[in-house]
Amino acid sequence: MLVENIKAEFNLYKNQAEKSDFFLKREEAFAEFEKVGFPTTKNEEWKYTNLKNITNQSFQSTCESTIETELMLSHAFLKELTANKLVFVNGSFRPELSTIIETDESIVISTLAKAKTAHSELFNKHFGKYAPIEGQGLNAMNTALLSDGAFIYVPNNKTVTNPVIIVNIADSTDVNVLCQPRNLIIVEKSASLTLVETFYAVGNNPSFTNVVNEVYANENAHIEHYKIQNQEGESYHNNFTQIFQEANTNINHVTLTLSGTLVRNNLHFFMNGQNCNSLLYGLYMPHGTELVDNHTRVDHAFPNCHSDELYKGIMMDKSVAVFNGKIMVHLDAQKTNAYQRNQNILLSNEATVNTKPQLEIFADDVKCTHGATIGQLDEEPMFYLRSRGIPADVARKMLLNAFADDIAERIKIPELVELLEQEIEKKI
Amino acid sequence: MLSIKNLKAEIEGKKILNGLNLEVKAGEVHAIMGPNGAGKSTLSAVLAGRADYEVTEGTVDFDGKDLLELSPEDRAREGVFLAFQYPIEIPGVSNTNFLKTAINEKRKYQGLEPMEATDFLKMMREKMELVEMDKSLTSRSLNEGFSGGEKKRNEIFQMAMLEPKLGILDETDSGLDIDALRLVSEGVNKLRNKERSFIVITHYQRLLDYIVPDFVHVLYKGRIVKSGDASLAKELEEKGYDWIKQEVEANS
Ligand SMILES: Nc1ncnc2c1ncn2[C@@H]1O[C@H](COP(=O)(O)OP(=O)(O)O)[C@@H](O)[C@H]1O
Ligand SMILES: [Mg+2]
Repeated sequence: MLVENIKAEFNLYKNQAEKSDFFLKREEAFAEFEKVGFPTTKNEEWKYTNLKNITNQSFQSTCESTIETELMLSHAFLKELTANKLVFVNGSFRPELSTIIETDESIVISTLAKAKTAHSELFNKHFGKYAPIEGQGLNAMNTALLSDGAFIYVPNNKTVTNPVIIVNIADSTDVNVLCQPRNLIIVEKSASLTLVETFYAVGNNPSFTNVVNEVYANENAHIEHYKIQNQEGESYHNNFTQIFQEANTNINHVTLTLSGTLVRNNLHFFMNGQNCNSLLYGLYMPHGTELVDNHTRVDHAFPNCHSDELYKGIMMDKSVAVFNGKIMVHLDAQKTNAYQRNQNILLSNEATVNTKPQLEIFADDVKCTHGATIGQLDEEPMFYLRSRGIPADVARKMLLNAFADDIAERIKIPELVELLEQEIEKKI
Repeated sequence: MLSIKNLKAEIEGKKILNGLNLEVKAGEVHAIMGPNGAGKSTLSAVLAGRADYEVTEGTVDFDGKDLLELSPEDRAREGVFLAFQYPIEIPGVSNTNFLKTAINEKRKYQGLEPMEATDFLKMMREKMELVEMDKSLTSRSLNEGFSGGEKKRNEIFQMAMLEPKLGILDETDSGLDIDALRLVSEGVNKLRNKERSFIVITHYQRLLDYIVPDFVHVLYKGRIVKSGDASLAKELEEKGYDWIKQEVEANS
């Protein structure tokens, strides 16, 4: 049972740790974890996503990795892209596999473990301030026992020239592995960053990746944030990303879920000032019995902000998708523009989609729309293409690519767009 | 080239084609006219292979092949082209990519190599001129945001690119102003040759002033009830369809 593994691991850690502020924070998180435990389907937020296949198994944290990891890295996505790369294997940083090409020394592209001492002021100011642990068993578990993760700091007016890629590999060749990456991203005033998170899994044992991201965007900051989840084999994934936006910030977030036994994404935006722009896009294409669950929340707490959300699903076999998009328009958030859509294509009669928009609007002068569709690939365009001599299977691919195009066009890294097209080609 | 015998078809149990006969020889242009609801679009859809329609009786021979046995894509690759009455929009599929795929799939079917990119672009340019298609339209998504006239022109442009043996135009004239009508007709006329045949479906005689047919047929209640030469179209223009309807009722 996972809960016992976690308790044992924490006790081990407790006996060795020095009693710093950081330790106290983790102890507090552990107490919260003990109190609330893992979410169950009785919890409305987890109604369709049952974690029992995770919680009934044993997992352990390990920094061991095997040759499989190197094999994976040799054909990992975006290998050719000119970028800063931070590689984490089973949650541990691997400097020999990582490369930092950024030359501006005021920009920090490092790890959480290092930043804790090297940038303690920044660390203490931001760590644990955005991702809540109260009532959030999985966040509490991450905080209590996090392995390591990226620490990125972009000072005022700076632009990180090339993207930063955080490569996460779960290597379960030898054991059932638990990875708990924890990333802290701080982008200061008028600074900008392009961030890519990629997730892979190797090995035949199950793996469980439990990520917490805290992203702080100071005034006028601009962040492009892409997440690519491609964990094959028996791999479970939970991701909590909290983006905290000050005034005039612009954040574009795209989540691509290509593979994973169970993937739960919790993507939360909080707008803490006027004129924020929050863009949330996602594409998932589960097959077999995979489950993909996207829970998003956008808090419009100030006036004159804009959010746009579009999640699209291509559902194969007996896969299941869950979409829950919550938009909270606070009392003072007049002139809010918030849009949300979830569109699904079922390529199989046995696939299931549970979709639910949740708008809670307390201001009166707002523009909010939402909509969800679930259906088969339309017959009309199919026939049109076929009537021009295009065989059914080619026509189908063209139409699914067209469907995915709405998301692909939100991606500003051409290599990533290309990769997405190849993956669609491969999956369908 | 095309031989339709006693064709009967229905949709959702509703009989629409009731024993239709039509012979089209290579190089001929046949006009099919008839009141709304006569079954003109149904005939074109059945020939193109739309699955919604059930053929309950009859045969369609196309150059020695049983057309009804072929999938829609094989019919197209054998040389049937239908210019739709209502061309749909397909967002996310670019016009150019669509045409390149269609042409290369046809070539593959014929055992030919894909077309060279430069040849393809040259062909695009030539055929676009034929219907004075604006260059900017080809880089856009298929018919997305096109005006009614632009969509119809795009159908003829596609036909020019795919070089079919048999072109079926389903009310290509509807929704076109007089200039667009002339343009589209001239485009079609340039595609006429000794081998290529056309079935021109229209409600009005107007189009046939430009595309002069060899034969004119009247389709009514799912059958060809009258056939003649181009002068029949003129007669219909003057007298309307009522006299045909009366003739049919009187004979039945
Ligand atoms: N999908 C359909 N379902 C039911 N009836 C249809 C359908 N399509 C066409 N029809 C009917 O078939 C008849 C012939 O239609 P159509 O072939 O479109 O005529 P035309 O093109 O000559 O105006 C009409 O009565 C029409 O209502
Ligand atoms: Mg019609």
